[in-house]
Amino acid sequence: MAETMELVPDATDPKTYYLNMGPQHPSTHGVLRIRLHLEGERILGADPIIGYGHRAHEKMAENRDYLQFLPNSSRVDYLSGMIYNLAYCQAIEHAIELDVPERAEVIRIICGELNRISSHLLWLGTFVLDLGGFTPFLYGFDDREKILDILDSITGSRLTYCYGRFGGVTMDVDDEFLRRTSDFCDYFKRRLGEFDELVTDNVIYQQRTKDVGVISSDLIQDYALSGPVLRAAGVAHDVRKTEPYGGYDRFDFDVPVGQRGGDCFDRHTVRMEEMRQSLRIIDQALACLPDGPIMAAKVPKRIRPPAGDHYFAVESARGHFGMFITSDGTDIPVRHKLRTPSFVNVSTMPVVLPGTMLADTVAILGSIDIVVPEIDR
Amino acid sequence: MTDFPQIFGGHWPGVLAATVAIMGFITVNALMLIWLERKVSARIQRRYGPTEVGPFGLLQTLMDVVKLIGKELVTPDHVHRPLYLIAPVLVFAPLLALLSLIPIDEGWIFHDYDIALVLLLAFSSLNIIGIFAAGWGSNNKYALLGAVRAVAQNISYEIPLLLAVIPIVIMTRSLSLHEIASAQAAYPFILVQPLAAIIYFIAGTAETNRAPFDIPEAESELVAGFHTEYSGMRFGVFFLAEFTHMVIICSVATILFLGGWHGPLLPGWLWFFLKVYGLILVMMWFRWTFPRLRFDQLMSFAWMILVPLALVNLLVTTVVLKL
Amino acid sequence: MLKQTLTGARSLLTGMKVTFKNAFKKPVTSQYPRERIEMSQAYRNVIVLVEKEDVGSHDCIDCGMCERVCPSFCIKVEGERPEGMKRKRATRFEVDFALCSECGLCLDVCPTDTLGYSREFDQAGYGRNDFLYDLLIPYRDREETVRDTLRAAEAEAAAAKKAAVAKKAAAKKAAEEKDAAGDEAPGGDGDDS
Repeated sequence: MAETMELVPDATDPKTYYLNMGPQHPSTHGVLRIRLHLEGERILGADPIIGYGHRAHEKMAENRDYLQFLPNSSRVDYLSGMIYNLAYCQAIEHAIELDVPERAEVIRIICGELNRISSHLLWLGTFVLDLGGFTPFLYGFDDREKILDILDSITGSRLTYCYGRFGGVTMDVDDEFLRRTSDFCDYFKRRLGEFDELVTDNVIYQQRTKDVGVISSDLIQDYALSGPVLRAAGVAHDVRKTEPYGGYDRFDFDVPVGQRGGDCFDRHTVRMEEMRQSLRIIDQALACLPDGPIMAAKVPKRIRPPAGDHYFAVESARGHFGMFITSDGTDIPVRHKLRTPSFVNVSTMPVVLPGTMLADTVAILGSIDIVVPEIDR
Repeated sequence: MTDFPQIFGGHWPGVLAATVAIMGFITVNALMLIWLERKVSARIQRRYGPTEVGPFGLLQTLMDVVKLIGKELVTPDHVHRPLYLIAPVLVFAPLLALLSLIPIDEGWIFHDYDIALVLLLAFSSLNIIGIFAAGWGSNNKYALLGAVRAVAQNISYEIPLLLAVIPIVIMTRSLSLHEIASAQAAYPFILVQPLAAIIYFIAGTAETNRAPFDIPEAESELVAGFHTEYSGMRFGVFFLAEFTHMVIICSVATILFLGGWHGPLLPGWLWFFLKVYGLILVMMWFRWTFPRLRFDQLMSFAWMILVPLALVNLLVTTVVLKL
Repeated sequence: MLKQTLTGARSLLTGMKVTFKNAFKKPVTSQYPRERIEMSQAYRNVIVLVEKEDVGSHDCIDCGMCERVCPSFCIKVEGERPEGMKRKRATRFEVDFALCSECGLCLDVCPTDTLGYSREFDQAGYGRNDFLYDLLIPYRDREETVRDTLRAAEAEAAAAKKAAVAKKAAAKKAAEEKDAAGDEAPGGDGDDS
């Protein structure tokens, strides 16, 4: 790493030059900076330089009790805030061995999958926007808006939900919510076909993504990648399947894998298919939503996980999101490490980017679906 | 043949009046086109677009121009000043000359040159010098990359453009736009030359640097491409040039393939403008539907698909005409 | 090669068909200053003190739970015990909305459920001090009367309790105590009017 991290690049070669892509650049999805070493349009080297969006979430966790970290959890990755928020609740429940009522579990799954679809929709929009197509971006936002409205009706918030509590969820769902959700599922199944016509089948889109930015399974093992990037390379690994949590083992869904060896188009098809699978899960969950309480009967007033290490992982929209909590038995964690998938995924960039064209950089960066605040935390 | 100078009585007053008329047309046209583009994109994306200023937001772009004019013209420190300052003019000026070549109706032409088509193709390639000057003079890596791409793209797409035009020239045995349009009284040439028309239109879209061929600007890769360092009305001039260029490409397409002013019932000039703006709408429709090609794919598309197709088309045309 | 080109061209036309169809659908934008969206029932904004019917005002007892649980440390509560009353009343309840992250933990812990969410959604200001909300403002002017009512009610309740205790202790004395309670309650009402 030492040689790639030098701050003043060697600029003696007159044929090559350095280009700072970011931190202010339309396609770095926030404040990621990539220092590209270019020869013409061809990339010789790439160093992601991160930290511009650092908010010290992990340090904040060490300064407040477990409950007070709750609003932070959905801000780690604001595009799948629900999943992260619920993941934190589940992690603590796991640590203090608190059982969640079944109804709350199913509600959590519905909300989590809705959130996954909305995150993938935003990815689809921004990815096509990176490739120069404006319209799918707004279509994606239009549909995402419908999801946000649905989630808003029970959580009261549109982005940073803070919906879960240790032992359940804050608000019960009503018939209106269930009806809107199932309406959305029906609508969205048709809508995905439209996205396929507009984006997936488009010859320009295919040219831009096929055989571009191949992240092979070897590389994935070296870097411990996860999520759609991993599945695109042909590895059927999904935390929801391999280590089921929160009641996912009750539902029937497939883990889509890429067919082309892990290029950008694979990552696209995997995500499109994941949205369909999420719809499947939601359909099943709506059908089997049990009655009952939404909060566990006995939630301890003070959360004090037993001393020791606790680890809990979920499948977020971007991959394996893990929380490593070291507790000394008090109210405040000693260490709260967040294992965020974007951080791991973006770390392959120095290997994947060289040899591609400048225009592919935005395609590859877009296809691994980074959320910069999640990288920096 | 009456040309404009005669209409306005005498040579020089006529030239002056026509120039003013063209300048006025360019401005109004660009304003309306920008409004139209925003409305079309809005409708396609299920938005409203501008609605606030004037009826249907028609005056929105006028207000934007007022804002652009009111802005300070920032000249960055590290630019090559002469090139940087002259570039917008170089981009814009050839287009001014080009509009004078377009016949709008039977006999409605500023001046009918025998070699109008050659002149037109020559002049429309000139503005690439301006674009390159802008990119080079800006002394910015994004701008330079955009300029390099623009030059490569324009040179590549000149060839299919020319090859698509030549069959028409062979058929009409004329390089005068007025005569070519007049020859289509019976039927528009798109019926006999559909392939040439499509190739011309694709290459023309690439010539104007519009999506899906907008790689010189490519805002998601190159921020703003060759005009990254321009602000205020200097940037406005680039914008004006782009929309004027669109009008020219579409006017020529109308004259070469769609029969110019010929059409039933309506007066000729109205037909002409209907066709031109119809084509422009299609161009906008392209832009708001497709993603952008990559640079190398763009080049191979020109050289591997468009040029061979155009050559085959040319060959078939000559053979058929000989028979 | 030709076949590729043709399928490619067809895919482009399909894409154009999709955008064309969408161009004639109704726009989804809501024209904000002219139309205002109805916020959902669960909508979360800055917290407010909810009027409780049995009190006729907010019921903040200055327990400090919200102040302690707030992860953003944006709530400041102060209170006093009014003379002759057991329960405390808040004298200052300020929220710095610029710091608030709208997590809703304060609502969860509130023992009297007197916290709720505001229905506003378009607050704007020129500086962060514009978002210092004093939640007691709507209740200030009637605080004295409310206290009187509460004091009376407390006295009544205390009397009733006393009565109950007394009743339990000695059934004989019960009747007398009840009379005394009956005397006091109208007296409290008299103070109100």
